[in-house]
Amino acid sequence: MIAFEHVGKRYGGRYEALADINFRIARGEMLFLTGHSGAGKSSLLRLIMRLERPSRGRLLVAGHDIDRLHASQIPYYRRQIGVVFQDHQLLFDRDVFANVALPLAIQGVEPHESARRVRAALDKVGLLHRERALPIELSTGEQQRVGIARAVVNKPPLLLADEPTGNLDPQLSADIMRLFEEFNRIGTTVLVASHDLALIARLRHRVLRLREGRLVSDEQIGDGEGA
Amino acid sequence: MKASGSRQSPPRRGARSRRAGIDSRTRAWLRHHRAVGLDSARRLLRRPLSSLLTMLAIGIALVLPAGLWLALSGADDIGRRLQDSATLTVYLSPAVSESRSMTIADTLRRHPDVASARLITAAEGAAEFQQALGLEDALAELDDNPLPASVVISPVDTSPAAVRDLGDQLERVDGVDEVRVDLAWLERLRQLAAFGRRLTLALGGLFGLGALLVVGNTIRLAVESRRREIEVVTLIGATHAFVRRPFLYSGAWYGLGGGVVAWLLLALGGRWLAAPLHDLAQSYGAHFGMPALGWQGSAMLLASSTLVGWLGGWIAVHRHLADARPR
Repeated sequence: MIAFEHVGKRYGGRYEALADINFRIARGEMLFLTGHSGAGKSSLLRLIMRLERPSRGRLLVAGHDIDRLHASQIPYYRRQIGVVFQDHQLLFDRDVFANVALPLAIQGVEPHESARRVRAALDKVGLLHRERALPIELSTGEQQRVGIARAVVNKPPLLLADEPTGNLDPQLSADIMRLFEEFNRIGTTVLVASHDLALIARLRHRVLRLREGRLVSDEQIGDGEGA
Repeated sequence: MKASGSRQSPPRRGARSRRAGIDSRTRAWLRHHRAVGLDSARRLLRRPLSSLLTMLAIGIALVLPAGLWLALSGADDIGRRLQDSATLTVYLSPAVSESRSMTIADTLRRHPDVASARLITAAEGAAEFQQALGLEDALAELDDNPLPASVVISPVDTSPAAVRDLGDQLERVDGVDEVRVDLAWLERLRQLAAFGRRLTLALGGLFGLGALLVVGNTIRLAVESRRREIEVVTLIGATHAFVRRPFLYSGAWYGLGGGVVAWLLLALGGRWLAAPLHDLAQSYGAHFGMPALGWQGSAMLLASSTLVGWLGGWIAVHRHLADARPR
């Protein structure tokens, strides 16, 4: 699904955010990306989203070198990726329903079909009863779940999450992670960047660890204990 | 884009799901255009005062070139009518007797290029002259009438070249002393109109650019205030066209509003100027009214102002999108 081949990223010619990154993610896999803040987690996700381009190496997604994508193809590429942001990036001038419907509106999905899928996504995150609420009226955890509903509403094959539990208490964080596991169970490839090591340790998935822009470990946690 | 309004639409039955591909994509495209067009209009209406100010600025910028253009088309109209009434005055030799002058007038009348000819005998001429200038006493003291008989000719073809040509021909007729063709001022009017046309074009270009900048700046602020929304929709796969669309519609609405303002100003200004213009025309014994835009002119004004607004929006968003390219 995703292959990093000797990928490096420099900013302004000096600061090296990522250096010689090599790993592969198989279709349908779920894994974590950890490291201190500034270790390069966000840079790595931004490369996959094609918000930035690698300074060195190749980045293949679904077999395509995404650096070669023409500017006009990038939007269509991004529609294949659901993204959950730490600050959820909801639009505060419209209600929950309209926020979740945004990816479908962009793709020109028919209103009737769109409403059906939005409700399905909201149901999945347990917020069907809040579809008319404005994001400002929701709690942080609820806002994050709306963000997740928006990320999965068009059933993308790849789901990225950047510190999705950054502002949440342990119980809510566990709930969110369980949601990601559910999406993974139905075939979505899930990559979660998080520094919540305690939570990650409990979840028994593959973990990539970054330190100062380098990939320092890539291991399966909890192997042999039985899932 | 507001999708919230659509959810109340009743479920449609039938062939919806069977049709696919281009057809459904076109319908989605049209649906989005309609939704965005309405949403942009609603956004403008939500800030009526600032929207109105922008439209006023555009309208005022457009009113000067449009008004000049109108005045010019009015001048053209007058010029054409004056040309239609172009005449030649054929002065006969003073030695020609009154009966002979009638024969000459008949000869002139039969010329194929002459539409009509009116003889003014020497006596009639003197009387007219006296009346017009109030020189009764001065002329009465003269023993002889110093004025020659003349024939006023209306040509068939009133174009300057044909009139000049006819004048040359008539000058060769026996008994004709001189033919006066007063074309110089007609020519001057024509030159003035040509100058005015260029001036209108230049001013139209300049003020159109001004209107463009007004819209561009307004839209730039709108883009700035919706920066987050643009970021988010770009992150989740919106094309540039999708991002641009609401701002293009806003620009077009501003432009259309500005066009309406310009139209109203022209109509009001025309009404205000009509009375003095009428008096002025009457003092010349002429009859011309205030030129009006008409359907075609109004449509053109509104269309070009809308286009200017659209263009201003495009430039503003394009600059923003160009800045936001991935590095």
